[in-house]
Amino acid sequence: MPRLFLVDSSGSGQPPAADEASQAAVEGVGEEAADMPPDDSARPSGNAARDGRLRGLVDGYIDFVARVLRNAGTPQADIDDEVQRTFIIAARRLDDVRPGSEKSFLLQTALNVAAHARRTIARRREVASEHAPDTFDARATPEQLTDQKRVRHLLDQILDQMGSDLRTVFVLYEFEEMNMAEIAEVLRIPSGTVASRLRRARAEFRARVGMIDGLSKAERDQ
Amino acid sequence: MTELRRLLDESDNATEKALLHAGRSYRSGRETRAKTLAALGIASSTAVVVASGSASASLPFKLTGAKLLIAVSAVGAVSLAPVAYRSFYKSHGTPPAVTAPAARSAPVHVAAPVVTAPPVVEAPANSSVVTADQRPPARPAARVAEPVSLAQELAALDAARATMARGDSQGALLLLDGYAKTCPQGRLRLEAELLRIDALAKSGQTQAAKKRAEAFLRHHPGSVLAARARSYTETRGALDD
Repeated sequence: MPRLFLVDSSGSGQPPAADEASQAAVEGVGEEAADMPPDDSARPSGNAARDGRLRGLVDGYIDFVARVLRNAGTPQADIDDEVQRTFIIAARRLDDVRPGSEKSFLLQTALNVAAHARRTIARRREVASEHAPDTFDARATPEQLTDQKRVRHLLDQILDQMGSDLRTVFVLYEFEEMNMAEIAEVLRIPSGTVASRLRRARAEFRARVGMIDGLSKAERDQ
Repeated sequence: MTELRRLLDESDNATEKALLHAGRSYRSGRETRAKTLAALGIASSTAVVVASGSASASLPFKLTGAKLLIAVSAVGAVSLAPVAYRSFYKSHGTPPAVTAPAARSAPVHVAAPVVTAPPVVEAPANSSVVTADQRPPARPAARVAEPVSLAQELAALDAARATMARGDSQGALLLLDGYAKTCPQGRLRLEAELLRIDALAKSGQTQAAKKRAEAFLRHHPGSVLAARARSYTETRGALDD
């Protein structure tokens, strides 16, 4: 997987402009309607160069954006909407995104969009209090694990129980194969914090996988 | 800082590997890409080739696999898509085959669209041009045609968008009418509605655009496209780019 994160062509060591742009863009992610100008970049008649750049972002990073959103806790049913939302924000802030920082910008935007989506889901659950929280379904046999949907469902459950701080570091390190310095920069946390969160996240992940394996084995032995 | 090996690389536990692989291998679907491009108002890289054959005289155009061949080119050649559509739509007969060259890099020429249609709020009853907002609501076709693929839906919207980019909002509205008729439950129908609102506004029918935008917001308040719809609910003149 290409490592394209946080390339700061200026070499100044300053955070990429995309950081601020992303942050500003996602602060109003729930209310983007209010501040979205009518003649924004998402309009059909934008200029060709701008459209070309946007198309390049979609073609180059849509899998990446979808994967980050999904692994950061966006339900499958909401992926289409949240991918669109991420790119609409990117379109709105396109002029602020420095060439070379696109992937970093999209990552930060997607993480914020996913966090917003998680909060919305949490509110929905509070309202529908009759719904018990997801219980861990560990009745997975090795055969069942070949079922991709079931594997994905189990992964969702494990990640959901992880806590968002640990989850984000785990997802970026294990799935996006970012290194610790890159994660520290994109999350604006010290490198030591990244390392400790990764350590704890891995321990949690392995403990829960161990529980799945243990319960599956017990079920088979019955 | 010591970089650790990825769990997927170092693990020898089958369950761990399966779970980690699932996280790493997630991909977006084709529909997600199509919807995203539509939401951004960008034409897809899809070229439309109209094959020879008889066309239905009862529809502005008919989107079926037999009538339209959708060819995905390596580079966008969408500027020809509307030509193909309009040719088809105008002739209602046997349109000439249009072959899209693969080496066009600029998808749509968007220089200064000129809206030639006069502002029409209410067309006369005997007008031969029936504007989109005056048509009766789209009803499911009596004869259900074969399912329209996502690529075909996307090509239809691309054609409307490109037509509008050339300044022909009325032409775009007619293409959108065709889309609504052929795909009443289309996967891109919300994007199509936004496009219609934009076309109405650009053709000077700002009140109609506003009305539809308000209806859009009533029915789809949580849509990611709501922001764009909301921009048309404010009282304004024709929107210029």
